[in-house]
Amino acid sequence: MKKQRILGLFSDFDKAISVIVDIRQYRLPGVSVDDITIKSPIEHPEIEEILGERPCYVPWFTLAGALFGLVFGAFFLSAAQANFLVQPQGGKPVITTMTNLVLIYEMLILFAMLATSLGFLIGGRFMRRRSSLYDTKISLDQVGIEIETDNDYIEPVRKLFTKHMALEIREGKP
Amino acid sequence: MSLVRNFIENWSRYAKSIDEGGFHEYKHMWGMVVDLDKCTGCNACSVACYAENNIAVVGEDYFAHGQAMHWMRVERYWDEPDIGGKRITETQEHGASFIPMMCQQCNAAPCEPVCPVSAAYHTPDGLNGQVYNRCIGSRYCEVNCPYRMRYFNFYSYYETSWPSPLNMQLNPDITVRDKGVMEKCTFCIHRIKAAKDKANKENRKLADGDFQTACQQTCPTSAIVFGDLLDHDSEVHQLWHKYQTKLGTPRQEKENPELRGYRIYEHINTEPCVTYLERVREV
Amino acid sequence: MMAEKTAQAAKDIDETIAWARINADVLRSMENPRKGYWVALAVCFAIFMVGVAAEVYQYDVGMGPSNLNNPHMWDLYISTFIFWIGMSHSGTLLSAILHIFHVDWRKPIYRFAEAMTTFSLLTALLFPVIHLGRVWNMHWVFPYLSDRGIWPNFRSPLVWDAFAIATYLTGSVLFLYTGMIPDLAICRDNATGWRKKLYTFLSVGWWGDDRQWRNFRKTYMIMACFLIPLAVSVHSIVAADFAMAIMPGWHVTSFPVYFVSGALYSGCAGIITLFVLLRYFFKFEQYMTIPILEKLCKLTFAIAMVWTYLNLIEFAAVWYGHDVPAKEVLIAKFTGPYSPFFISMLLIGMVLPFSLAFQKVRRNPPLLLAISLLLNTGMWMERYMILAPTLSLSFHPYTWGVMWPSFVEIGIVFGSFGLFGLFFFAFVKVFPSVSMYEVKEMVYHRRRVVFDEAEEKLHPATAPATASASSEDGT
Repeated sequence: MKKQRILGLFSDFDKAISVIVDIRQYRLPGVSVDDITIKSPIEHPEIEEILGERPCYVPWFTLAGALFGLVFGAFFLSAAQANFLVQPQGGKPVITTMTNLVLIYEMLILFAMLATSLGFLIGGRFMRRRSSLYDTKISLDQVGIEIETDNDYIEPVRKLFTKHMALEIREGKP
Repeated sequence: MSLVRNFIENWSRYAKSIDEGGFHEYKHMWGMVVDLDKCTGCNACSVACYAENNIAVVGEDYFAHGQAMHWMRVERYWDEPDIGGKRITETQEHGASFIPMMCQQCNAAPCEPVCPVSAAYHTPDGLNGQVYNRCIGSRYCEVNCPYRMRYFNFYSYYETSWPSPLNMQLNPDITVRDKGVMEKCTFCIHRIKAAKDKANKENRKLADGDFQTACQQTCPTSAIVFGDLLDHDSEVHQLWHKYQTKLGTPRQEKENPELRGYRIYEHINTEPCVTYLERVREV
Repeated sequence: MMAEKTAQAAKDIDETIAWARINADVLRSMENPRKGYWVALAVCFAIFMVGVAAEVYQYDVGMGPSNLNNPHMWDLYISTFIFWIGMSHSGTLLSAILHIFHVDWRKPIYRFAEAMTTFSLLTALLFPVIHLGRVWNMHWVFPYLSDRGIWPNFRSPLVWDAFAIATYLTGSVLFLYTGMIPDLAICRDNATGWRKKLYTFLSVGWWGDDRQWRNFRKTYMIMACFLIPLAVSVHSIVAADFAMAIMPGWHVTSFPVYFVSGALYSGCAGIITLFVLLRYFFKFEQYMTIPILEKLCKLTFAIAMVWTYLNLIEFAAVWYGHDVPAKEVLIAKFTGPYSPFFISMLLIGMVLPFSLAFQKVRRNPPLLLAISLLLNTGMWMERYMILAPTLSLSFHPYTWGVMWPSFVEIGIVFGSFGLFGLFFFAFVKVFPSVSMYEVKEMVYHRRRVVFDEAEEKLHPATAPATASASSEDGT
């Protein structure tokens, strides 16, 4: 069976939500909540709840970056100072742990932020080709619902979209 | 990997500050005694220093701007009754007193840890080294020096300082500094080096009197004594001992309060290696 | 009619505004630069060129022409550096702190504030470089592997500066950029020509699906959480340049906090300035509304009071400490040659913000423009007054001396304002200076809250459960 994608554009979130509610309640054949993607012009944490738990791995990237910054910072600074013996200055020791804390702090933040950005790019599936199912109206003021399902189940989905006054319906291959 | 091993193995040594003996086991600790009661303020030391260390003569205009380079400067202070100073009649006839100031070669120097590129560093002889090649001219060292004894090359002074025949008198043992570099008194480190090399060649230990700094050599009243503080036979050590001035204290405790000898700003814990012989009077 | 107008004025934003309108208004601001824009750009360029000329001369001759001398090794360069670093702090405050607390009135104004952060940081970055005697060796402060085994001195506050500013620049650019990605997608969808290519590249494939929004939300929040301690650390490290030194008047424990509060103060004043200008020139009256301006003024007032307190407590600390040189410096600040600067700094910094306590003032954009510019002048003088008196009067009496900056120094400082202007003018025409998607969110949420409340009032008995439930998720 071939997979097919269908996108419906709605004028506001309420209509889009009622589509998802219908899918959850009536259980369209072959369509589950996990097949739904909302495309919207704004952030919608409370609306996303209707889609159920969906994972987000960015914090793990952050943690990894922060730990790397911490450990790398500590070792890098100490190692660099230990190998640079013309340093003993102002009565201070060669490896100055106290002042290195300042730099370790900065390095922790630097690497944590870089890792966060990386996690963002990976987790959000960025830098990919545009799918055919994108409409500039999504960045303007319309809410899109994209459903990926088998070829045979497209028809009921389209009916559901029309029922909830979809402004436009598009289809495309995944 | 050896990078990491180095600091793990030597941690106990590297983590020592000056309070716990420091990283260095000093073989020498160059120090100085300046007897202010012998000093006549003749400025010969300053002139000698200019000649010895290739210090640029900046001219009247720059001097007036405060951009001069006198590593060794004889400072004059006036007791001016009209601005509140008391005239001390029993010592100074005209209310003027002077003090030759050079880099105090502090053991806990404020200038050193602030240098971003480690151009100011502490030599194993207890001197404040200044690596001209490494200096990027952030001038933080001078900003943090309580004695204001560091000098910055604001211009390429060498271009005008020694017009044609004069460049022949430049000291070949010392570099000529270009603009943008900080410099200061080195306790004539090139002379120390030469004397050390000579002693090494002759297979003997460096003795007191093997060398003199330029200012010491020139001083007509022998007010300046220079030598190794760790060498118990040296004149400078004996003078420090005699006048009960000690390293490693923020305040000199003396058995006899009449005894002369103090270090400048020792209360801010800079650990200077220069003792001035003069009774400290409360004004 | 009258009643409607006042009700309108009390709201942060008109929530009936259509989403398409928001897009159109902001996108309009980015195109068709008028003659005035080019004139302003040319003026900024001319100012910048003054600075460039002065710097070229100084580079060629040495640091001498800047009038720096033996006690005054740092002067305007470093104080202007602190000034610009300070300007860069409020973008983060507004954006990150207010974001964490879900304060929605930040949404229309945070974008240009963050741009201000980034650009003033870039401008600030110039000064430590310019003030180096040997600029061409400035990379030596960064830790790179050298075959000679030479490293920078990691215990120097200047190296901390280099680390902190590099981190802050990276962080604030990432924060600005991440927050802008959805807007860049809007631009991409509406642009043609080179702009299309640019925005397509920069929007890294933002299609607005829920996966992207979810990751975006997390990322943005995490970045905000990191930026707050980072911003505080950056300015306290700048303060450490002074507080770690042993000079009287600098060796003060409260300096880091004092610097951070001063930074937020001048940054907030800077935001007010740009707010009023953008509001007027780009006709953003509907987004940058008077109520938001009022809130901004209140924030500025609060921070000004914190700064005032820390300023006064510093005097108290000096007085208590009984450190003679420090006392001398403090007295010289009030009575010495620099006293006109110091006293006008105190008047501007401590007394002038009280004008913000009056609603009439807070609602008057032209007056606020003047006040905010004055406040920043005061803050600039504050930075100068941190440096000059201490340098002129430190421990050693022989080197006491007053120094006034030369035209080279003033020229470079002047030029930095041109550079900032250039950056900012370029930004507002290439990137949306009001966050479109977040204004949409703001409008959306406010509309829901208002409608839900209205519904509750209309049908309190019929649908109490649903009304309260929906208003809960609306807020």
